[in-house]
Amino acid sequence: MARTGSALAIIVLLGSGASIAAEPEFYMAVDRTKVGTEDTFRCEIVVSNAPEGAVVQFPAPNDFEVLSKGDSTQMSYSVGPGGLGQIKQVRKYTLVMRANRVGTLTIPAAGLQTANRTYKTEAIKIEVVAGRLAPDPRNTRKPPANPFGLPPGFPFGGLDDDDDPLGGINPFDPFGEDPGIPKSDSDLFLRATLDRPEVYVGEQVTLSLLIYARMNLVGVDSVTMPKLEGFLSQDLSTPTNLAPEARTVGGVQYNAYLLRSKALFPMKAGEIGIEAAEADIASAGFPYNRKIHRKANTLTLRVKPLPKNATNVGKWRLSSTANQTDLALGEPVQLKVILEGRGNLKAVTLPSLQAPQSFRVFDPQQTEKATITRNQYGGQRVVEYVLVPQQTGRFELPGLTLEYFDPESQTIEKSSTDSLTITVRPSGTNATAIAVPGNPTGTQEPTARNQLVGGGLKSLRHTAAFSAPKAALWSRAFFLPAAIAPAGLGLLLALFAFVRGKLGQEDEASKKNKQAKAARRRLAQAEKVSHKGGTTEFYGEVDKALRSFLEARLSQPVTGLTRPQLDEAMKAANVSEAVRQRVLGVFETCDLGRYAPGMGDAQARRRALEDAVHAMEVWP
Amino acid sequence: MIALSLALVLAYTPQEAQALFTEANDAYYRQEYPVAIEKYQRLITAGQGGPDVLFNLGTAYLAKDELGPAVLHLTRAARLSHDDDIAAQLAVAQQRLTDQVVGATDTQPFLERVAHAIDERWTSIAFLTAWWLAFFLLFFFVRAERGRRWVLGLVTTVAFVVAIVLGAVVAVHASVATSVQEAVVMAPTAPAREFPGPSAKVAFEVHAGLLVRVMEDDGRFVRIRLPNALEGWVEKGQVTAL
Repeated sequence: MARTGSALAIIVLLGSGASIAAEPEFYMAVDRTKVGTEDTFRCEIVVSNAPEGAVVQFPAPNDFEVLSKGDSTQMSYSVGPGGLGQIKQVRKYTLVMRANRVGTLTIPAAGLQTANRTYKTEAIKIEVVAGRLAPDPRNTRKPPANPFGLPPGFPFGGLDDDDDPLGGINPFDPFGEDPGIPKSDSDLFLRATLDRPEVYVGEQVTLSLLIYARMNLVGVDSVTMPKLEGFLSQDLSTPTNLAPEARTVGGVQYNAYLLRSKALFPMKAGEIGIEAAEADIASAGFPYNRKIHRKANTLTLRVKPLPKNATNVGKWRLSSTANQTDLALGEPVQLKVILEGRGNLKAVTLPSLQAPQSFRVFDPQQTEKATITRNQYGGQRVVEYVLVPQQTGRFELPGLTLEYFDPESQTIEKSSTDSLTITVRPSGTNATAIAVPGNPTGTQEPTARNQLVGGGLKSLRHTAAFSAPKAALWSRAFFLPAAIAPAGLGLLLALFAFVRGKLGQEDEASKKNKQAKAARRRLAQAEKVSHKGGTTEFYGEVDKALRSFLEARLSQPVTGLTRPQLDEAMKAANVSEAVRQRVLGVFETCDLGRYAPGMGDAQARRRALEDAVHAMEVWP
Repeated sequence: MIALSLALVLAYTPQEAQALFTEANDAYYRQEYPVAIEKYQRLITAGQGGPDVLFNLGTAYLAKDELGPAVLHLTRAARLSHDDDIAAQLAVAQQRLTDQVVGATDTQPFLERVAHAIDERWTSIAFLTAWWLAFFLLFFFVRAERGRRWVLGLVTTVAFVVAIVLGAVVAVHASVATSVQEAVVMAPTAPAREFPGPSAKVAFEVHAGLLVRVMEDDGRFVRIRLPNALEGWVEKGQVTAL
């Protein structure tokens, strides 16, 4: 602290009740020598042992505005040298000042007028810059609620944050910030404040609207709040009576009145502006009360985006209870899922219950109860499911997991319920199922039965043929040739037969030769028969062979011709007499051999055969 | 050829294949669907994916709620094996599809129904057998004596009639297989445009799992036709041929 001025001392000697007077001490000091135009600073004028009737002459600077003035007196007693008692009186005057312009300004000297002389302090130079040098009290966070740093769970250390979702709240004091005193209207002004300058999307920020007054107020006629676009808002406090609270703003004493308090939940990231609120305030006056219109300041809130995949914001705890876990078929299970904590309760999306297919799940009933704890919006939501088992057995109701973003820890937290195992027994034969709330079919149902419902995914194959899918048979290379081949072969055979037929046409001579050859083969056959001893068959074969030969040579059928006719035919064919006789002789022998078996001995058969062969060989 | 060589290199012994198959099934039952899918795919890559492996793979995708590959593999399995389980699984997939084709004809064209109803492999084998038999009988009929010809002629005629009918069925199979190209929409959402081009107006959207017919290929885009004859161009990468 700068300290100037002459020093006077009053020495009071107390010896047997006596006192000794001393010179007065008089000086002036400021708490800062460099300030901003928006800062306030203190100027103290101190007088010690002032004589009776002394008057302090306060400085009257043109460049500074004196916002308030106060004084205090201290008395002290001490024993001095020699055992004398000493009384010291110190009177301190405090001026709260604010500079009106920029520059190096001077606070003129203060004076102390006594009966016989005048004391003066030294003037003080103050360097003034534009704006604010002192830290903005609106941007400073409050210290934690547990200033002693006691560990969680300590008996006097407050609630454990891990256990209590409402724990760890730093209660917001709407009066606790220095709002700054406006240049005009310093006796009565309206201030809107936010409890923090930066929040996440969906995180609560508290908006407070306050009156600061240094005059008597009668009431508030109307309050116009801003539209609050981009926020979901919930009222926290709307006082009906003005309750003053003494506050010091920049060293100036004010009465502060809370007009409105709202919990705001920003819906989008970015900078969101809040327009100025307005109010008509009635102040006490004579002879009439005065109506004063005041407009608050505008605000800007920086809203940070949520991390990816974060939807719910706040601090939440999820729990569940079931009224029974061992029940008969058809009896309902009431499952309560309870969400509680702080944040925007209405914006929280709960995970849906994934009940086994063996349960019929009725539409859940939901109740919500909002709470405000230490200016933090929150509450409790209870979702009540009614599940009716349709099958017997042991079933597991899976637990639910709620993911939320906790702005305080800036992490995505999870709160889960435990899974429940429910045992469903067959119902009694005469039992009736308990009526299910909301079931339109009636209050009673016949005995529940184990329902075996089809559907769902089929089970996997456990054995497999590990072969790649084969190409279609018709698309393989061999298929088309295999299909064409029989038709092609048939055509080739037909063509071959046709060609052979064409090429194989014989002339008359060759045909005769063929017939003759056939006749000779027949003779060879007859010879084989001859060896076996069959006389009739032998002559029959020889007869047929010779007739075939003659038909071939004469080109006419010879069967049925008499001997003379046959002879004539041979004669017509220019067959010699000898050959004719030999042929006819063979026929004669054959007839005798066939019809008179005793005539055909081996010699006769050989002769007949030779004659037949000879006739064929010598045929012209 | 490269795929064949790869399959030969990667081929598992029957024991290894069964072990891998069982591991995949176990992963499925632990609801580790990506693991199960990866193991089934390894069998298919090794050329050892028959209808059973395809069925399990499609089921795993269905459990994972990826309808595109689920319908693809189940339909491939159905083409290889006429099986009630596959049909039931496909019905489940159909119920989950986003798209409902309005005005679709309930029945396929006659020839396609014939092709799907009759097994191609056995029909082809029966055709070749009857065809060759008929020609053998014809050969003997030609060389037979007059007295025995009418019986042989009757049998030969019957054999030719049977062979021709079977041959017609095989021809239907070939015709359907070469003229009908089907595909499954794999992308979650595929915009179908009025003409092939990224700037073309989107006529409608199709979603994963929808079975469509590919009518034309333009390189980057293919023209698809829905069962109700609605047509549009989608990017080729958004559909996979069966």
